Amino acid sequence: MIELRNVTKAYRTHAGMHVVLNRLNATFPDKVSYGILGLNGAGKSTLLRILGGAEQPDEGRVLRSGRVSWPIGFAGGFNGSLSGEENCRFAARIYGADLDHVVEFTREFAEIGEYFRMPVRTYSSGMRARLAFGLSMAIDFDTYLVDEVTAVGDSRFRKKCQEAFASRRERAAVIIVSHQIKTIEAYADRYALLRNGELEIFDDLDEVSRLYEEAA
Amino acid sequence: MRELVAGAMAQARVVYALSLRETRTRFGQHKLGYVWALLEPVFWVATFGTMFLAIGRENAAGMELVPFLTTGVIPYNLAVGTADRVSVAVDANKSLLFYPHVQPLDLVFARVALELATYVIVMIVILGAYSLWTGSFEIESVLMTSFGLVLATMFGGALGTVLAGMSVLYPVVQRIKGPVMRPLFWLSGIFFAANMLPSNVQEWFLYNPILHCTEMVRDGYFAQYHARGASVGYVLVWTLALAFVGLTMERRVRSRIQLT
Repeated sequence: MIELRNVTKAYRTHAGMHVVLNRLNATFPDKVSYGILGLNGAGKSTLLRILGGAEQPDEGRVLRSGRVSWPIGFAGGFNGSLSGEENCRFAARIYGADLDHVVEFTREFAEIGEYFRMPVRTYSSGMRARLAFGLSMAIDFDTYLVDEVTAVGDSRFRKKCQEAFASRRERAAVIIVSHQIKTIEAYADRYALLRNGELEIFDDLDEVSRLYEEAA
Repeated sequence: MRELVAGAMAQARVVYALSLRETRTRFGQHKLGYVWALLEPVFWVATFGTMFLAIGRENAAGMELVPFLTTGVIPYNLAVGTADRVSVAVDANKSLLFYPHVQPLDLVFARVALELATYVIVMIVILGAYSLWTGSFEIESVLMTSFGLVLATMFGGALGTVLAGMSVLYPVVQRIKGPVMRPLFWLSGIFFAANMLPSNVQEWFLYNPILHCTEMVRDGYFAQYHARGASVGYVLVWTLALAFVGLTMERRVRSRIQLT
């Protein structure tokens, strides 16, 4: 479960302070998947980083219980001079997960062959994304934070990603941010709209779609 | 209480994983990676040793040259080297902050741990090789020697944290820290001991906390050397003050560390 209490985040820009999240209050219960819609620049990625704890809010608190993933779909967090395998070991260590299981699972899932043992800097961006996605599936999270992951790879790999998520839906929740209604429809049970620094939550996809299209 | 223990365990895991990773990225690039860590201290010991011999001195205040110079170079490296590496710890590992429970301070702890381990091993290798060669080995107090080394590292880590915080606000710090810290090489007792200085000069030199650490290491290592001017309290006050400033700055600039 993740709970946001009065979360405010602003960035310094040349034109003064730009408030991205304005006194946000929300609760994301266990095992319920949320799809958060927002236009480009609405603060979706910022919200995801704050939910995961990679960034701290300026004000307010974030309460988490259970294992929360890093924002998936982002291929960062890898050290270019280490191999894919070594990077997997590192992530497994910091999450206290079983090293051999994580390495083996990622190797099979990512399907990057020999490259798994080569430095990540030699990877194409597609290979990086496959490694990142495989790694995040290898560790059992209670909440998966997803940043538009569906753009990864060819259609066969995308299908594999969706199946991997589907098999975890029983025991884990997904919080996905996107600017596409179609994407969140595939993953979410409930929906939210992020605009003007505020987050509104809906049970009904049609309602959020209508409001989102008005805003766009 | 249970949460505190679980939190400490999680952090220990993160720092351990980071140290292993730092080891690979720092030394793993070349096959001779570890040799380079050894080479620099050996170079200085050789250089100063040759100079001492050239002016006809075979010991310093009763201390044999190689151990004397080694016990000077290592604490200096632990203090200044750690400060230098910690000051860029966050910059060099920004991408890791994307893992939520890797926080800037974990990167600092990992580098401090790696520096300490590296130079303690380097010291053991140099002095071990030397005593194999001479056939005799003596160390008065392992505890006191280790204490001096740890104190030097802690001072370096605290100084590095302040430098890291300052360079978020003023990037120019990274450019000027080298020239500003360079005099410490000549002032930290690598090739002299405080007792060898005239008392009015010694008083001034002892404002430098690194010299205190070097003195403690030598006091611990050599039975015949007594560091009269060294003060644990003095180094601790410096370290705590720097750590206080450093940690305060970390809070202050945390939100300014941009992830991408």
